[in-house]
This record gives sequence, C-alpha cells and structure tokens, in this order.
Amino acid sequence: MVKHLGIVGAGQLGTALAKLAILNNIEIHLYDINETILRRSIEQIKSDFRQAVQQKNLSSEQSLAALELLKTRTSLPDLGHCDIIIEAVVEDARVKKDLFKHLDADNKIATILATTSPSMLVSSVGSAARYTERIIGFHFFGQAASSELVEIIPNINTPAGIINDAAALIRMIGKTSVIVKDIPGAIVERTSHIIYNEALCLSIDQTAGEGQIDNLVRQNMGLPLGPFQKMDVVGIDTVLATGESIYDQSNGDPRFRPPGIIRQMVEAGLTGQKNGKGFYRYGNPQ
Amino acid sequence: MTLFHGSNPLKTKSKIGTKKAKKNEPHSRSLTSDISHQPGPEKPIAVILGESPMVEVFAELCTAHGYRVAAALNNTPTGIDMIRDIPAQASVAIELTNLDLELKKKNLERLSGAGSPSMPILSSSITVTATEQSLWIERRHRLLGIAAFPTLLAKPLMEVAPTIFSPKETVEAAAYFFQTLGIGTEIVQDRIGMVIPRILCRLVNEALFAVMEDHAAPQDIDKAVQIGIGLPAGLIGWAERIGWSQICAVLDAIYNDTHEERYRAAPLLKHMALTGNWWNKQV
Repeated sequence: MVKHLGIVGAGQLGTALAKLAILNNIEIHLYDINETILRRSIEQIKSDFRQAVQQKNLSSEQSLAALELLKTRTSLPDLGHCDIIIEAVVEDARVKKDLFKHLDADNKIATILATTSPSMLVSSVGSAARYTERIIGFHFFGQAASSELVEIIPNINTPAGIINDAAALIRMIGKTSVIVKDIPGAIVERTSHIIYNEALCLSIDQTAGEGQIDNLVRQNMGLPLGPFQKMDVVGIDTVLATGESIYDQSNGDPRFRPPGIIRQMVEAGLTGQKNGKGFYRYGNPQ
Repeated sequence: MTLFHGSNPLKTKSKIGTKKAKKNEPHSRSLTSDISHQPGPEKPIAVILGESPMVEVFAELCTAHGYRVAAALNNTPTGIDMIRDIPAQASVAIELTNLDLELKKKNLERLSGAGSPSMPILSSSITVTATEQSLWIERRHRLLGIAAFPTLLAKPLMEVAPTIFSPKETVEAAAYFFQTLGIGTEIVQDRIGMVIPRILCRLVNEALFAVMEDHAAPQDIDKAVQIGIGLPAGLIGWAERIGWSQICAVLDAIYNDTHEERYRAAPLLKHMALTGNWWNKQV
C-alpha cells in the first residue's frame, strides 16, 4: 500500500501525476529545484480543481481534502520517507542519472525509484545507483499522462515484490498496467515506430501515397489516426529522436532502422503540426 | 465443397446451364453493366475460388449484396473441380488463395478460359504480385490484384493493384463491384504484401519476437497495443483470427522479394504456423 509518493519535477507530467495521486488519497511530496515552477504547478492543480467543482465533477470537500495531501518540497532528502519516488524531470540522460545517484543515497532502501523516461533504458538511467534492483520505469502516455495505460519496466534484477508494489500504485491512481522487460521502446513506442517505419517505406517505394496509407490504416485497422497524421501530431523531430534511440539501443538491429527521409524532413524544418508543415500542411501552426 | 448462395442450388445450377447457351450475350455488355445489379429476377453471378475461411466470408458478403455465388474451396478433396463449369455469364471472378501458389495457379488457369472476355478476375496478390499472376492466364488484362487477407475482406476499404496490362475499364469495373458490396477502393501499386497486410504482418511478427524473447506476456502485449495505440483487436488476438500460416506466408513472400531482414519471420511465428496456436495454453 503506497501512502507517500514522491514526485521529482513539477512540470506537466509531474503536475498531472500529483493531481491524480491526491485525488486517489495518496499523500504527495512534490519536489522541484525551481520554486517558481513548483508554485505554478500548485496553482494549476488548484485551478483544475476549482473548474471541476464548478462543473460538479468534484465536491468542494473532496477538493479541499485532496489539496491537504499535496506537500511541496525543495530538498531531495525530504522525500526520504516516501514509498515510491517518481522522477519526471527533463529528458536528459546526465540529469536523470545524477538524480538517481542522489535519490539512491538519500532515501531508505525500501523506497522504489521510478523513471518516466520514454526513450532510455531503465538499466541505463539507474546505472549510477548502488541498489539497482529498486529502480523501475513507468511509461505514461498521452498529453499529461491522460492515457489509461502505464507500462511498468522492471530493472533486470528487480524482485517480484517491487513490481507488485508498483502495479498497486498504478491501480490506485486508476490506471491499467502491463509489465514489459527493459527493452528499447518497450511495447507501445516500439510498435508505434514499426507502424511509422513501414508506412514510410511504403510511401518511399510508391506502393501507396501518404493519404492513402493513412486512410487504409484508419479504416481497415481501426486506429484513430493514420501513421503520417500521428507523426505530424507527435512531432517529426520527436519521432526521429525516439526512432533513432530505439535503433541505437537495439545495437543497430535493421528491424528498427528509421528510414532516412525522416531525418531529411527534420533538417528541412518539416516537424509536423507544431510548425504547420509536416506530411500535411496546417493553416495555424501550434 | 461447392457453395451456392442466394437461392436454391439446384435452381441456380439449372439457370446457369440455361444461360450457357447464350454464351455471347455478356460480350456485348460493358464491364460495368456486367457486374451491375440487373433489374428483374436475374442476379449477377460472382465466382469465388480459394481458401477457407475467406471464400465463405466473401460469399456471404456477395450474397448479402444481391449476387448469386458459385464458390469452391481449395481444401476439398476435389478442389476446383467441384464447380464443374464456371458459369459462362459470371459477372466477376474472385480468387482467394495466399498459401498454395500451385493451387492458385490452377484456379486462375481455370478462370482464364471462363466467363466473358471482359469479366474481371480479382485475385489476392499479397504473396505473389498481380503482374506475375497475369502471366499465368490468357486475356491477362482482366486480372487485378486485391489485398485479400483473412479479417480484411469485409473492411471498409479494399486495396486494388492493377498490373501493367490492366486497362482503366477493368479497374473501374472492380471499383464498381466493390462499391456494390459497400466497400470503397484504394488503388495501390502491385507489391507483395500491399499496404495493410504488410504493416499488420510486420507488427504481428514483432509481437511474436516479444513473446519469444519473454519481453512481455501475450495478454500484456495485446493490452498495451489496444489501450496505448488504439488497435482494437490487439495483435496476437487479431493474428489468431487471421491464422499464423497466413501471416508467415506474407512475411516469407516479402522477405524473398526484398531480402530485408525486418521481414524475416520470427522462429516462434514459424513454429506456430506449423503447429497451430499453443501459447495461451502454456502461459
């Protein structure tokens, strides 16, 4: 039973997780080195709750009780009593490794340390820690972890008890978990990139046009977006970075090699919906 | 096994026999009118040959949309001979074989001499190109490739691949035929695997690698792609409905064509194609 959850990083993901947790009666210790970001995060949660109360999705008593569970922290050792600590910091290997080294030293051995990195191997993020068996990965999906799914990625030496506790936390915040070994891209990212890569190859060899492929994938496979539409939404630069990361971490396995066109597009400034130009053209760049 | 859908089989047979006398009549009609729903009691005839369960699924679909169907399955003892005569006035012929290319060739040779000179022959072309198939028959302008794959036959869109011999009229006739079944068409290039079977088989293959290497449990893989990607049927669940041998055949054909490593079938997939579905009894 998770009673105290630490979250490191009060950005979009950290804020979303904190909100979910306090709504499910878990005490949150939200840490950020930057107090302004921390304040902004709290204001965001309060604002979301006010709106939920106005829309009668939440009672004011529930809102107050949940906010009581939200504690802010600016010192890492203050997370020492947490059952699980989730890092939600910037996607930078050096920053994450350094953080895990500190968390490993500052917290009780029973604390589970979780990374949310979508592209790095858990074994790599936790490599600087002494007790690597307590390090796991959580893959959240969608804007601000909106998807119901969470992939739990145990480290190579993580015991079953820690995996069970991690799964229990995911259940407590109302999500569904699957257990996946520590492989590049796990299941969801890896599968998404196979769809992207195949669609790109089909377009490159002129089997079908991008619009046709999107149409076929939506209508015949039932996916909400075609692969070219999805890459435009995710950001073609992000697709390139994740695709190359999966390929590199798979030791150059040709099954995961991203087609060269994707890099050419990024270099040409075609990064998708956010700048108005990708596989499709958009009137209003985001 | 012969399947006659839509009316009393004996009555249908006798009607077909009567029509044979007027062999030349369809020649004078345009391709589109060949497969249009005729007013009056006569229904257009679709001849369907190939593998189970695709033949049965497509026969049901055609019957539900007003066609009389003459169908034969490959895996019956007498195979195609169960239809002693391909109805001369058949509007359209569909060949649905992906696994046994020798049988497919025999089916197409049989269709080659049948029907009107303009009767479209729509042949599954996911394990052998439509162009190669067209070289097996006479009047090769009649043949078009289609992405016939179990579970995809009744989907909203059908991929149609013209060959280098296909005139515009044959493509239009095929589009019209699918339209009468409530199915749209996407005209794609004539490549082994076409679009959706290629993507789908590649995904299933990776899922099988993941199971084989113990990356995740099959149920978790399906849950992950259902919730995380939005693929309603999952991958392993969908593959079970398609049939492992079909998936293996598509991957082998693409691999033989491209020599790209990513299409090499996972050993577990090959094993399952040979032995059937066993993992869910083990897990």
